Amino acid sequence: MMCPPFDLRDYLLKELSGAEQSAVESHLKGCAACREQLAQLRATEAALFSLRDEEIPQRIAFVSDKIFEPSPFRRWLAAFWGSTARLGFASAAMLSVAIAFSAWHRAPAPATGTGAAAQTAVPAQSATLTREQIDQRIQQAVVKAVAEVENRSAEKTRLELAEYRQTAEDARRQLILAAAELDKSQRRNQLLRVMAMSQPDTAGEAK
Amino acid sequence: MIFRAVEDTDLIRQAARGNVESYNLLVSRWEKRVYNYLLRITANREDALDLTQDVFLKAYQNLRKLDDPERFAPWLYRIAHNEAYSMFRKRRPEADAEEVEPESTGAAIPVGGCGVFPIELSLAVASALERLSPDQREAVVLKIYQGFKFEEMAAILQCPVSTIKSRLYTALELLKADLAPVKARGVS
Repeated sequence: MMCPPFDLRDYLLKELSGAEQSAVESHLKGCAACREQLAQLRATEAALFSLRDEEIPQRIAFVSDKIFEPSPFRRWLAAFWGSTARLGFASAAMLSVAIAFSAWHRAPAPATGTGAAAQTAVPAQSATLTREQIDQRIQQAVVKAVAEVENRSAEKTRLELAEYRQTAEDARRQLILAAAELDKSQRRNQLLRVMAMSQPDTAGEAK
Repeated sequence: MIFRAVEDTDLIRQAARGNVESYNLLVSRWEKRVYNYLLRITANREDALDLTQDVFLKAYQNLRKLDDPERFAPWLYRIAHNEAYSMFRKRRPEADAEEVEPESTGAAIPVGGCGVFPIELSLAVASALERLSPDQREAVVLKIYQGFKFEEMAAILQCPVSTIKSRLYTALELLKADLAPVKARGVS
């Protein structure tokens, strides 16, 4: 028989299971050396307990400040991001939805009548596309996209040019009008000066 | 109507939803234990009080990250351990993280000594604890004074149970040898 069957320190510190505790206790009844060893351990433990816990010198309490409290939505969001389990569940759910959607989207349509052969042939055909064909299709798509962008850009430039021309024409007309007004004003001033020069003579004649 | 005691887990769930009163009640249940744990590993009352406040503030800020409220105690003590060692590192920035240890106080503080035990024994115990390495002392504090299981201690200190047991049992042997003469003089 082992002496003792389990570590006496584990027994003292209550780290053994119920069955193990019982085994040690029955062993202790017949082993004076182990009883002595356990008594020493208990004495050391009792000595350690001569140090008592102190009271905390200052109680701790928190005050709620409504201004700084996060909104319920923010709290939920923080809890969501802070919880590994919830985040993991959400990720798994999203992944499942994506897989299900992908499977549904790629699945061939059910066979109906004569069109069935043509419909089921499409995935088979796409599966047998060569790399060159794929490259060619990509090239065509790129050319088409570039042409669309260029058309849009040319149309935008044309509109901007037309708008600029209209603005310039308006400005030219306003300039012509202003010049005519200035000319008219100069003539009026000239006429007034002439009239003013001839007025004194008229006044003298009246006297 | 059925009455039942309010468990820590109830308070944790309410506090995690922003109920400050519940958190204050939770703090009142744990502050003394956390303070005494920090007091025994820092051997300084002011540091222990400041750290205790920091621990509960940090715990409140991170309460929502606690997935299992049943594991609140080890989680809280893990924060306390980190806060204490963070303070030691700030005071001795030249030391490596693994080498950091509490400053020696020079004189052992007989924390909370008295009552039914003679002061001589309390002083002897405090002095014997002071002579242990910081790791050994923390293992004794967590097991003997705070009553944690080995698995919980492993979670708090982030090391294997075998390491915890080794530290604790070595410490108990040293304490037994240190305290034997005092007990022999009949003060126990």
